[in-house]
Amino acid sequence: MSDAEPQYPADEDALGRDADWRRLDPRMLLVHPVNEVVRFLPALVAVFVLGSHSGGDTWWHLLAVAIPVALGLLRFVTTRFRITSAQIELSRGLISRNVLTARLDRVRTVELTSSPIHRLLGLAKVQVGTGSAKKGGDEKFALDSLGVDEARSLRHALLHRAAAVEASVDAPETTTVAAPVDERLVAFDPAWIRFAPLTTGGLLIAIGALAAGNQFISTAVDRLSHRIDLGEPRHLGLTIAAAVVGFVVVISVLSIVGYVLTNWGFTLTRDVAGRSVHVRKGLLTTRETSLELERIRGLDIHEPLGLRLARGARLAAIVTGLSKKEAGSTSLVPAAPAAVVATTAAELLHEELPLTVALESHGPRATRRRFSRALGVAAVVAGVWAVVVVATGWPAPAYAFAAVPLLLALPLAADRARRLGHALTPRFLVTRAHCFHGRRVVLEREGIIGWNLTQTWFQRRAGLVTLTATTAAGKQGYALMDVPEAQAVALADSATPGMLTDFLAESVR
Amino acid sequence: MDPALRTPANRVSPRARLGWALIAIAQALVPVVVLVLLVTVWNVFSMPLWGWVAIGVAALAYVVVMPGIRYQVHRWETTEQAVFTQSGWITRERRVAPLARVQTVDFEQGIVSRLLGLTTVTVTTASAAGPVRIEGLDRIVAGRLVADLSASAAAETGDAT
Repeated sequence: MSDAEPQYPADEDALGRDADWRRLDPRMLLVHPVNEVVRFLPALVAVFVLGSHSGGDTWWHLLAVAIPVALGLLRFVTTRFRITSAQIELSRGLISRNVLTARLDRVRTVELTSSPIHRLLGLAKVQVGTGSAKKGGDEKFALDSLGVDEARSLRHALLHRAAAVEASVDAPETTTVAAPVDERLVAFDPAWIRFAPLTTGGLLIAIGALAAGNQFISTAVDRLSHRIDLGEPRHLGLTIAAAVVGFVVVISVLSIVGYVLTNWGFTLTRDVAGRSVHVRKGLLTTRETSLELERIRGLDIHEPLGLRLARGARLAAIVTGLSKKEAGSTSLVPAAPAAVVATTAAELLHEELPLTVALESHGPRATRRRFSRALGVAAVVAGVWAVVVVATGWPAPAYAFAAVPLLLALPLAADRARRLGHALTPRFLVTRAHCFHGRRVVLEREGIIGWNLTQTWFQRRAGLVTLTATTAAGKQGYALMDVPEAQAVALADSATPGMLTDFLAESVR
Repeated sequence: MDPALRTPANRVSPRARLGWALIAIAQALVPVVVLVLLVTVWNVFSMPLWGWVAIGVAALAYVVVMPGIRYQVHRWETTEQAVFTQSGWITRERRVAPLARVQTVDFEQGIVSRLLGLTTVTVTTASAAGPVRIEGLDRIVAGRLVADLSASAAAETGDAT
């Protein structure tokens, strides 16, 4: 590839690749001082408040403002980057010089982030993901900040470098990187907000916020408890009801706020050449993530119980070559109606079959295992409860609560058993499983690079195996739980023709 | 006619049993020593005689039984196409990795395995879930295996993902 270098058009494009070092956008000079001032705010306040009290020392005030501004200026002056024909280089530091280099064909993702200050100034921070295993390696590959248009064309150049080079040989005019026109696949609909309280993420945000507001809540409870006599049954009932309603309302509000903050204005677009997809979202801080389609090995459709009941789902991509930290940047569609997720998925896969195909069940023995496992766990919980009741000497009716986990286990096991299934289409392996963390995984058969068949002692007795298709993408392995052994071997053999042929027995049993 | 996988052709070295037994002794010794210290030296709680007997029997059974079962289970095979292994004792696992997808072949020896002339060969693919480990191979067999695998991996082109 490097010997093709002289063939590049001499005039180069607006990006100035192969050209000299470039700097950040001068407007970032305004971002950094503001950021630094915000970070120094406590110190500043202290200086001004204490300073004015003690009187004099005006130079001290100036210094406190000047240092952050100088730091920002320093960063602008010392940060430079360039794209050569094969790599992107980032040079930083005044005294300690630090040059980061990444090969262009190793660039997996490009993420543009704009905080409210950035947006005001028309800027974006560019983060380049190279799937580097080095701790914090990718964190460093950030350009803070470029003008939005420059950032977008940089992204375009980074992601399509190889393709652009090939194209330039045949038709030089295609290399002029204009602002790329993208095809819009989905856009945010405010009605989706109804799904926010049903996602686990929403719940976590809410619990986090509640924990943070713990102090406030405990004071409020303290105040109230003086007026309420919990000994009186009517008061007790009302208090419990109020607590439950309050909890639900608070959780809902907080999760909606979280959902709106991260997902407002969401759009999923695909560039016209069909080489990458861009996810754009965020109310205050906007985030644009780009993924190369070539690296997408499949789709992961999340259908957690709450979303499923409301006919919602989420969509994520199964991408190769991402480091663990980047794995979170593969979300394609946030909590949205299942129908929207299905159409988007079909659009990305170029076919509907993997989403509509009838799944093969794992049979009665797998179903029995769902029930025995759920009931087993429930029995342990019930047993622990019984011990607690005995130990604390609570009245006998308390034993009745031991039935709760047992009764909950039944629908859980039934749902898990019903959902368990898999299918094979000409291009994809489809699996579906789980209740609370329900998901349907569509994995490209081409991307399967090995098989693991695991059997616990119980599974061996039931003649079942957990079949894991290993892949270089996403979670690295996608498991099909409790498949009858013969079915598992047949499935693996036909999903990846030839891989198992040498090891098949003529006939067994 | 149900399709099924046959067992891989080769057993590991018989000396692997000794290796597993030594590891098992080390594993069993840690909790037993902690227990003895807790009861006799620090007097945290007391244990009846039958408790000691039960623990002793369990530890002994582990040391005696586990290596034998593992030796029955652990098997491996390579063909022109793929590596195939079977391992475990209570939970068993069979793994298949096609040679076309092999990225690295590791040859490693710990202190115990060096004394016994044993080797662990690990064949990795681009998937973090897919490494195929063959424990307790005879050193000479392992050397030949590594050479074979490296040669066929080198013959493949593409980035194996």
